[in-house]
Amino acid sequence: MSEIGSDYFHYPHRRKGLDHDRFDRRYLRDIPARNWPDGERLKLWITVHFEHFPMDMPAKPFVPPGGMDRPYPSVWDFSTRDYGNRVGIFRLFKVLDRYGIRATAAMNSEVAERYPLLLQEILRRNWEIAAAGVDMGQLHHSQVEQAREAELVAQSFGTLRRLSGQAVTGWHSPAHSQSAITPDLVAENGGKYIADWINDDLPFAFRTRAGELTQMPLSWDLSDHKILHSQSMPVTDYEWQINAAFDALLSEAQEGGGRILSLSLSPWVIGQPSRIRTLDRLLGRFMAASGVASATGEELRQDWTSRGE
Amino acid sequence: MTRAADPQSYDYAPYQGRPKIVWPGNARVAFWVAPNIEYYELAPPPSPTRSVWYRPEPDVINYSMRDYGNRVGFHRMADVMAKYGVRGSVSLNVAVCDHYPEIIERCCELDWELFSHGIYNTRYLYNMTEEQQREIIRDSRETILRASGQSLDGWLSPAISNGLTTQDLLAEEGIKYTLDLFHDDQPMPVKTRNPGRLVSLPYMMECNDVPVLNFRNISPRNYLQIIRDHFDQLYEEGEESGTVMCIPLHPYLIGQPHRLALLDAALEYVTSHSGVWLATGREIAAHYEANHYDQFAGWINSINAETAK
Repeated sequence: MSEIGSDYFHYPHRRKGLDHDRFDRRYLRDIPARNWPDGERLKLWITVHFEHFPMDMPAKPFVPPGGMDRPYPSVWDFSTRDYGNRVGIFRLFKVLDRYGIRATAAMNSEVAERYPLLLQEILRRNWEIAAAGVDMGQLHHSQVEQAREAELVAQSFGTLRRLSGQAVTGWHSPAHSQSAITPDLVAENGGKYIADWINDDLPFAFRTRAGELTQMPLSWDLSDHKILHSQSMPVTDYEWQINAAFDALLSEAQEGGGRILSLSLSPWVIGQPSRIRTLDRLLGRFMAASGVASATGEELRQDWTSRGE
Repeated sequence: MTRAADPQSYDYAPYQGRPKIVWPGNARVAFWVAPNIEYYELAPPPSPTRSVWYRPEPDVINYSMRDYGNRVGFHRMADVMAKYGVRGSVSLNVAVCDHYPEIIERCCELDWELFSHGIYNTRYLYNMTEEQQREIIRDSRETILRASGQSLDGWLSPAISNGLTTQDLLAEEGIKYTLDLFHDDQPMPVKTRNPGRLVSLPYMMECNDVPVLNFRNISPRNYLQIIRDHFDQLYEEGEESGTVMCIPLHPYLIGQPHRLALLDAALEYVTSHSGVWLATGREIAAHYEANHYDQFAGWINSINAETAK
């Protein structure tokens, strides 16, 4: 039997605060209770994922959520995901247009290159483009050589800026996966926010070697991907949970100050005919409520940093 | 060390013909809530037995999911519990006392019990010598005393990583009750190598939010139904002899906005019944030890004698 050495009883970070220096400890309830600058209490942040899952994507060191479920060549998995970029997204456009919602498009740069018509539709609606890596087969983690990862981050930002003409200030790592230096690379490439950590319901300041970023609270537990695909729940349970989150956050905002409800949507999941009406019903209810407005990630980042907290 | 096929912590004892448990006030059910307040390290030392994280470190999504409990979920959960007068018995990674002292202060204000769930949830008892396990128990005792003035009475092994003699060590170190055994719905004497009076308390995994919500992907509304059904049965059985109901929680899961309403509804349901003793782990174990331990030990001896004939 292997033995445990004395280092196992050494606790180098056992002190007040976190066990790393990326951000400070903060309790949500201690944040000064202030509404958003426009007076609203709850901001609906819709993030739509534009993803390309290569059929030959690696299965190691881990399969990202939505990765190929079946042996190569899995035409079924590939085309099911690509369905979102062709069909599902146009259902989503209709629903979001109906409520005047501008979303954040978290794009693999490969999608912008492959589907210029889709990019046009996004830009025509004045959505925000955020960089989400190159494609779902090229994940960011600490086994990737640092020089290679630097190329991936630069390629994602560079391609999306060139094709969209937007500043592209947001970053979302495929599968919420970062290496130890991903935030540094984002800052070095002119990014202003990341949306990968799922430890808070409000933004917070995040240190990098190239200055401070804002970490934005993109939800994972409330994503259509997790609930409907990973957890295989029926859409009625998706609806129950999104409604419950909305009610809890709006109620908390009455005394606690402005909150964000982040809905993370994948067109290949929520854009199915059997599911899209549920989203329509949810957004119809939310946007009719008093004190609620929608915003993009970059708009929320600016609102947040203007508070100087 | 030889490999044991049975933890040998208890003798067989059928759920019939048992001595009658009488709770204070003749309550049918002793009801307790056990929030696990945990700290998972971003870069823990490796364990020879179990890999800590699921992705290459830093495993941002899994680390940050758990950090949510301390930043956001804890206070929400505590507010709901306080609303119904339900005190927590905290399964505590005691390093939280150092990292997040404000959480411990709030637990003390609410008159909650603190017991040990190890130092960090990323440091297992696996492969430890007895002396090393004693060191973890001693550290837990000293840290809880320093942070809260409380004695260390209860134990749930960190990440439930037992050694073969852990229960013996707990008894020898003066721990009053253990949650590591899942063999019964009533408190039971624990067999240890030296004479002692260690009580096992029911810590009900069927009602624990991690296996229910995370492993089994059960929706919040079905989780609520599980809790109600679980309670209804134990309440009915409690008319004959006192039963115990435990809801183990994790603020990183139950403190999410889409789940908070289920905790509220669950506690409202339980506390609306008469004949429910809202207790802590320490109180249940102490009452049992003082009033029923010897009865049960004697009854088990008589079963053993019967079986040996």
